[in-house]
Amino acid sequence: MTLWHKLRPYGMVAPAIIIFSLFFIYPIFYMMYLSLFDWNFVSPTKTYVGLQNFADLLADEDFRKVLSNTTIYTVLTVTLTTGLALLLALWLNRKSFFHGFVQGAIFSPHIISLVSISLLWSWLMDPEYGLLNWVIGLAGFEKLQWLSHPGTSLVSLVMVAVWKGLGYNALVFIAGLQSIPADIYEAASLDRSKPWTTFSKLILPMLSPTIFFLVIINMIGSFQVFETIAIMTQGGPVNSTSTLVYYIYEYGFRFFKIGYASASGVILLVIVGILTIIYFKLLSNRVHYR
Amino acid sequence: MIKKLTALTLAVFMVVVLAACGTNGAGGNAGATNAAGNTGGANSGSSEKMVIKYWYAFGDKIEKAKLHMVDEFNKSQDRIEVVAEFQGNYNDLHAKVQAAFAAGNAPAVTDLEIASTGVFARSGMLEELTTYAERDAEQLQLDDFNPGLMGNAYVDEKLYGLPFMRSTPILYKNVTMLKDAGLDPEGPKSWDELEEYSRVLKEKGKIGMTMPADIWYYEALVAQSGGQMLSEDGKTAAFNSPEGVAPVEFWKRMASEGLIKIPVGDEAGATADKDWSNQMSAFKFGSTAGVNGSLEIAKGNNFELVTAFMPANKDYGVPTGGCQLVMTSKGSTEQKEAAWEFLKWMTSKENTIYQHKNTGYLPTRMSALETEELQTHFKEFPQYKVAVDQLEYARPRPMESAYPEVANFIKEAIEKAILDPNTSPQDALNAAAEKANKQLGK
Repeated sequence: MTLWHKLRPYGMVAPAIIIFSLFFIYPIFYMMYLSLFDWNFVSPTKTYVGLQNFADLLADEDFRKVLSNTTIYTVLTVTLTTGLALLLALWLNRKSFFHGFVQGAIFSPHIISLVSISLLWSWLMDPEYGLLNWVIGLAGFEKLQWLSHPGTSLVSLVMVAVWKGLGYNALVFIAGLQSIPADIYEAASLDRSKPWTTFSKLILPMLSPTIFFLVIINMIGSFQVFETIAIMTQGGPVNSTSTLVYYIYEYGFRFFKIGYASASGVILLVIVGILTIIYFKLLSNRVHYR
Repeated sequence: MIKKLTALTLAVFMVVVLAACGTNGAGGNAGATNAAGNTGGANSGSSEKMVIKYWYAFGDKIEKAKLHMVDEFNKSQDRIEVVAEFQGNYNDLHAKVQAAFAAGNAPAVTDLEIASTGVFARSGMLEELTTYAERDAEQLQLDDFNPGLMGNAYVDEKLYGLPFMRSTPILYKNVTMLKDAGLDPEGPKSWDELEEYSRVLKEKGKIGMTMPADIWYYEALVAQSGGQMLSEDGKTAAFNSPEGVAPVEFWKRMASEGLIKIPVGDEAGATADKDWSNQMSAFKFGSTAGVNGSLEIAKGNNFELVTAFMPANKDYGVPTGGCQLVMTSKGSTEQKEAAWEFLKWMTSKENTIYQHKNTGYLPTRMSALETEELQTHFKEFPQYKVAVDQLEYARPRPMESAYPEVANFIKEAIEKAILDPNTSPQDALNAAAEKANKQLGK
């Protein structure tokens, strides 16, 4: 073994490692470091405050509201997106012009930028002039306040997220469905399996890696929701749509409290970390891998 | 065949979508391309030219006026080239300046919303202008700036900014609607009159006003009630005093009777504007920056627009608003000298007249008010003059470092008090004051 042979593999992975360390590892540790300070990002004096930022955060009722908003948003978005996408996929998993068209149509939101989507839906959900309320009015129901009332604002944002994510999720499910070998279906139909039995005993287990993948991806995505909130509600009304990442942004870049924002960032990191571990531990036992 | 068609549908969608994004992108990038072009030209033209960056907020008429003045400055001399870059609204602009400063890449000159002067100056991001102003006293004529606008220019008695596009909130009235309802177009001059007017308008199937629960308007109504937002030393909240509670009680009562509408959320301001433009409401509060645009709307929708002081409670009163021009502290001496030249140019008498006539922002200099040009302008369009006269009752905005956060607490409290019938304005503001005191006391 020459020196070159020993070094070559490290040389090969070096670019990836350098980028990873520079843009992922270093910021994480820098954030942890900053969370121990009272600082505004630019002032020459940084005051060390120990764990005071964390104590303040946990005592702050707004922060608890933010955590509960984020949790509700995530649970609703993940269950609705994954559930509806599975139903759609079962329906769309056949070859005809119509089904292909629907598949293309529901996939289209996925490729539109979130900023455009947010502006579009702000207009659709306008309480006075929006298309949604116009339709509701025509149907003779009482108009909804959508984003303008604490009772409906968070659910309105969930609606947008589901609309945006549905097509992609359905597409992944369809791919999953099509990778199930046809002979298993044949065997099932020879045994005169009822549709529900086929679904629960055959399709679901065979699809579990796909479900697992989508749940994880959707969950992490929803936990980091930011654009729709920044554009559509800015956390209001009455804090009803303020979520973790928006809260971090607000404190870091509007109120210039980078230490406090970093402390919230650390908490986000811990939560996402714990959830990922739980998912891998619990669900991986049940996931059926071929 | 079917697969091909599916692909075709997708392709069509993508083209439509990309086209849409492309249009957006073009709007956003136009400034950048332009700026890059300028830089290139400057470098090839003369190598000794000092190139400095100027960051500004807001698009449309305001942007047009700013770019015009920058262009004139670049043409007026051949030593300095100012590259103007659009940065969104004030919040976006502030966040970007802060990040750029931390990265050592801040613009030499930037717009700065007046209430944020404190936090920026105290963290050492701004160049103190006192010595520059003393040196060029003759040319600058600091005394010539309207004294009502200088309150936010000083932080701890040091000069940090020059008044640029400054405003006060004013009352916009649809006089055609008032006349149709048989109301005196001179009013409403007080809160009581505003309520009476709104009652009459409600009977006609309209409403008095749609307004967002905006912190700036709240500051105005607190001033009209004779109160203060914060204590004298800025260490404690004062907005939960009776004078601070009165505006929220007034709004809540009016809203619950359907006399005014208070939309909340991010679109609230836009909704208020739309209701007024569509003649659903007779009044709106708005910055004087919108006079030019509102006159066009009134003309387009065939109604007569008159502007007036915001109605008084105990007395008239408004905060000032808008932005001043500041210099960042990290540049070289040459850059700072160039930036100072630019600052003087942008705030000159001629330019303050220009920006006033093209947007509605206040003329910042007393000498500008005396010019023939503005006197004729005021005679022709008295709507522009109201904000100038109202300056007599104007006060600066709070500049405490924690104020942006405190403003958030207050906004939340107001929304809660108005939306939730079980929350009294006093309780909501007390809770906000308690949170605010923790931050202000630090």
